[in-house]
Formats: sequence, C-alpha cells, structure tokens
Amino acid sequence: MIWLLASALLFSLGAYGVLTRRTAILVFLSIELMLNAAALALVSLARLTGSLDAQVVVLFIIAMAAAEVAVGLGLIVAIFRRRETTNIDELRQLRW
Amino acid sequence: MQETVLLPLIVALPLLGFVLLGLWGRRIGEPAAGWLASFLVLGSFLLGFWLLLQGGAKWTLAEWLPGIPFSLRLDNLSGVMLMVVSGVGFLIHLWAIGYMHGDAGYSRFFSYFNLFIAAMLVLVLGDSLPVVFIGWEGVGLASYLLIGFWYTERVNADSARKAFIVNRIGDLGFLLAMGLLWSMFGTLSISELVEKVEAGGYSFTTLSLAGFFLLIGAIGKSAQVPLMVWLPDAMAGPTPVSALIHAATMVTAGVYLLVRHAFILHGDAFLAGSIVALGLLTAFYGALCSLGQWDIKRIVAYTTLSQLGFMFVAVGVGAYWVAIFHIVTHAFFKALMFMTSGSVIHALGGEQDVRQMGGMRKHLPITHRHGLVAALASGGLPPLAGFWSKDAILAYTFEYGPWLWALMLLASALAALYSIRWYVLVFLGEYRGKAHPHESPPVMLWPNHILMGGALGVGFIGLPYVIDYKNFLEPFLSKAIGEFPHEKLPVWTEWTLIIVSALVAIGVLLWGFRFFQQPLPQWYARFQQAALNGFYVDMLYNTLLVNPLKALAELLFSADRGLLGGFAGLGSLMGGLGGLLARLEAGALRLYLLGFLLALVLLLLWGVLR
Repeated sequence: MIWLLASALLFSLGAYGVLTRRTAILVFLSIELMLNAAALALVSLARLTGSLDAQVVVLFIIAMAAAEVAVGLGLIVAIFRRRETTNIDELRQLRW
Repeated sequence: MQETVLLPLIVALPLLGFVLLGLWGRRIGEPAAGWLASFLVLGSFLLGFWLLLQGGAKWTLAEWLPGIPFSLRLDNLSGVMLMVVSGVGFLIHLWAIGYMHGDAGYSRFFSYFNLFIAAMLVLVLGDSLPVVFIGWEGVGLASYLLIGFWYTERVNADSARKAFIVNRIGDLGFLLAMGLLWSMFGTLSISELVEKVEAGGYSFTTLSLAGFFLLIGAIGKSAQVPLMVWLPDAMAGPTPVSALIHAATMVTAGVYLLVRHAFILHGDAFLAGSIVALGLLTAFYGALCSLGQWDIKRIVAYTTLSQLGFMFVAVGVGAYWVAIFHIVTHAFFKALMFMTSGSVIHALGGEQDVRQMGGMRKHLPITHRHGLVAALASGGLPPLAGFWSKDAILAYTFEYGPWLWALMLLASALAALYSIRWYVLVFLGEYRGKAHPHESPPVMLWPNHILMGGALGVGFIGLPYVIDYKNFLEPFLSKAIGEFPHEKLPVWTEWTLIIVSALVAIGVLLWGFRFFQQPLPQWYARFQQAALNGFYVDMLYNTLLVNPLKALAELLFSADRGLLGGFAGLGSLMGGLGGLLARLEAGALRLYLLGFLLALVLLLLWGVLR
C-alpha cells in the first residue's frame, strides 16, 4: 500500500516537473519519472493481488521507455544543434 | 434502281471538304479553300446527276441501329432536290469566293458551308426517318454556325441562338412523329411505310396525329406561322448563307418533308386544312412585313417567308409536285435576288439600308439586269419561272375552293408588290449614299448569270397542261411521290386563271413601279411602321412566352442560390468554429501538457464519481 502512495508521490513530482520546467531535457526527465511511477504502481498492485499479469505490463513499459529515451534524446540533441536552445517556450514554431 | 456505293459518296464529298477545311483550312489559304469547297459540291452535283440518269439508286447499311438500317435512296423526288441543293449550292459557293474575299474566317466559312451541303444531302437522300433526322439536325447546326458566323457581335450570336431554339420546337414534332410511326408500323423506312400505309389495318386517327407531328416539324424548319420569327433574324449571317440556307434550300426542307410523306397527309381533311391555313397566314404575313422593311436582307427574308407560305398551300391542296416545282423555281429566283442584294451590299462596302441605296442601275449595270430578272420572276411576270409555278399553285387552289384562289391571288399580288418595291428602292432613282459603288468581280457575276438563266427559263419544265399537255416535271415527280389523280380543270377555266393571274401580276408590277418612285402617302408610312416591326409578333412572344419563362428561370436560379447559399453558410460557420479552436494550437508545449493533465484529472474524477 505504501508503494502505491510512493507511486502517486512520484507521479505528482513528475507532473509538477513537466509543467514547471522549461528545458526540454528536464521535461523529458519528468516524463520518465511519471512513467516509472506508473510502473511502480503496477508492480505494487501485482503484489497486492498476487497476480503476475501487471508485472508483464511493466516489462513492456521498461522496453518501451528504453526506446522512447533513445528517440526523445536524439530529437532533443538534433533540435539543440539546429536552434542552439532546448527551451520549450522558445520552440513554438509548430503551430497553427 | 440499283444498289450502289456511289450514293453515299455524294454525301461524303462535301463532308470531306468540311473535314479538310476544318483541319487544315488556314494552311490551304484564301482562294484555294473556296475553290476546293466549290468543286467538291460540283462533284456531288455531277455524281448525283449521273446516278439520276441511270434511273435512281439506293444504298443500305443493314447493321446500324438495332432494327433500323441506314438507308439512302435517290429517286425522282430526292433527285430533283439533290439537283437544286448541289446545283444552286455550287453557284452560291462560287459567288461566296468573291463575297467572302478578305474575311478573317474565310476557310472556316467554306468548311461550314460544305457541312451544310453534306447535311442537306443526307436530309434529302435519307430513306429512313432517323437518317433524315440526322440531316435535319445537321442543317440546323450548320445554320446556327453560319448565322453566328461573325460571332464577335452579340446580335449575331443571339440571332443564331434564336434560330436554333425556335427550331427545337419543330424538332420535337419530328421526334414525336417518328416515335408514333415506329409504334404503329415497327419500321421507320419511308419506302416500307408507304407499303404499310397502303396495306391498312391501323387507326387512321393515330396516323393523322403522326402527320400532325410531322407538320409541326415542317413548320419549324420552314418558318411558318407561328414559328416564323427566327427567319428574319437569321439574316445576321453573311449573305451567301442567307441565299443558300435561308432562301433556296434549308427552309424548303419542311415542304420536302411533307411532300415525302404525302401518303400520310393525302385525303386527311383536317391536316390539309391546317396546312393551307398556316401557309396562307405565312404568305400574307411575310408579304406585308416585307413591304415595311428598310434592311435589304430583311426585305428579301420576308419575301422568302411569303413564298414558303405558297409552297405550304400547294402541299395542303394536294399539289405535291407543284410544291416541289415552286421549290425549284424559287431556289433560282430567290437565290438570284439574295445574291444581287449581296452584290449591292458588296459594292457599297457593307451598307444594308435601302435608304442609303438607289440609282444602282447606273452604277452596277450588270447586277441591275440580274436584279430586274429576279424581281420580275419573283413578282410572277409571265413567262418567267415564278409565274409558272405560282400559276400552278393557283390552279390547284381553285380546285380546292374559289375563295382560296381569290385569297392566293391577293397574296401573289402582294408578292408582285414587294418584289417591285425591292427593285425600285435599290436600283432606281438617285444614289442616296456616300460610298463609291463598283461592279462585282467575275467570280460573283458568273453564278448570277447562270441563276438568271434559271429564273428566266426553269419554269418551262412545268407548264400547265393547256399549253404543254404532258409537261416534264409532273409525271417525273409522280413516280416518286405517288399518283394522286385529280380532276383537271376545264380548258377555258384554266386559261382564264392563267390570264387573270398574268394580268394581276403585270398590273401590280406596273402600279408598284410608279407608286414606290413617288413620295409615299401618310397611310403607307403608318402601315410601314407596323410592318417594320413584323407586326409586333416578336414583342408579343416576348411578353407572353419569353419573359415569363425568363422570370421563372430567374426565380428558380435565385431559389437555387438561396439553397446553395444556406449550405455554404453552414460550411463557413463550421469553418469559423474550427478557426477558433485552431487558435488554441499556439505551439506552447506546456499549455498542451497542462491540457493533458487536466483531462486526466477529469477522467479520473469521472471514473471515481460514477
């Protein structure tokens, strides 16, 4: 049960980080935090119910997160090379 | 009658000219295009003449439409028409080489002209009604193209449209007649229809209805009352067009159609009565209108109307061969009249108002001679061509009823009057304009010489029986039209009629000759004002038909626009809403993320509270 609370805390921290940070790297990091909070919640729920189903999902999340990090970081590096910045308030060309 | 592949060649020659000139007309260039077109028509003429001497020909393509073969037939009736169309057509082609000289659309003109000849030959030679209909529509198309030949001026284009649209009414009649005949007899071949009608075993009322629909078709093409309004406006085209299409050949197609179907019309008192009535009305209307016109071509156009009325009366009283006889003589003297007018217009550099003419006798001596013959032949002076054919019509109307004869005599007196008015206004008196008239080139004079010969002499092929007991034309045509025996008038009655009509023609010609050289009296000026506007028939049609229909169209159009406008409004409303939403998409990443979170919270709340 305590792990569920920890997971909620972790998630809120992540959400707070996503909303307040301006650097793309830190936003990205916060998103990873939220992702892992979700993974933690799944693991603790698996423990509570005694079923392995949720743990399988966690394995998927880890695999997906690895890929996502590779792509996301690559994008950020590429953007930095072109724009000399990773400030998401300045990167607003993708608009209507 | 032989089966020969040469027959379609008659049609193919001018059609070839149309294709050649249409595709490479510009490269063929100025005089060559005209000569090419003319000689192709001459080729058709010679070929047709040769086949006619062989005793006619036919040609059938069995697999055309399911159940309907494509068949052409050259018998004595279509042969005479073929001679007129291609013979007079050739002369007018030649004349047009001079008249159209220097026009920007020179080769285009000749390609359309050849198209017309081809379509007219299909109309004349066609033995099954759909084939005739192809020609019927083809000449309508050529007429439309040529009336609007100088299409850059709106008036010309409007006149072309008017002619085309008014003709549609007649075409509907033709189509209905075809449908009815098909449902009655199961065939549309004219030669088979003749046999089936003779065999009997059908409803006479239905056949009469079919004849009535054919009559409607003929009215449209031959510009009879009440569909006559397009013909005067058709004069917007070049003069050779008026001479060939709107005087000599196409407008007689309606008469030809009726004569071709004499086996349907004959003996039907109602149809005969309506044909006579329409013809009589047209003869008077055309004659009276012609007396009030100032435009030289409109004068002649209305005289054409009047002469077409004569032909209709001839068909109505059962004088089918006489109607064709009048077509032949009329083709000569009316084409001559038009081309003389055209030569005068040409000499005066495009002037068409007779008030700016006069005195052409001195300036254009040769053309004056042509004009004199044309006017006298059209006025019915014996022994010129117009006299004999008109006299034959008069004799038959006397058999129909002396009252009709009296009316027709009055109409022919008016015919003499308008012919001499045209002559006096153009050729006599002093020249009233400012141009420098010059005589036409030989290429325009020679066709007129030949036509003048025709206008003088062609009447002798159909002399009345009291002079020439068995004339050439009547037995010749009766072979194709069918024998409709009738009581010949007693010799003395016939002679009296001939002398009376001759005296009337001479008297009126002389009276008109004096009358139109003096200042015109007050009553004539008033009459002229009404006649100039065609007795306001156009205005009447505009008020009764054209404007209400136009108003209806406008109403429907605006309703349509309202409906479509509603849909368009709905579309732009949605577009506006979308635009508002699009503003949210400002590229602010953290705003989006906030949106995600809020949505997540809301979803969770919904899930918990539910």
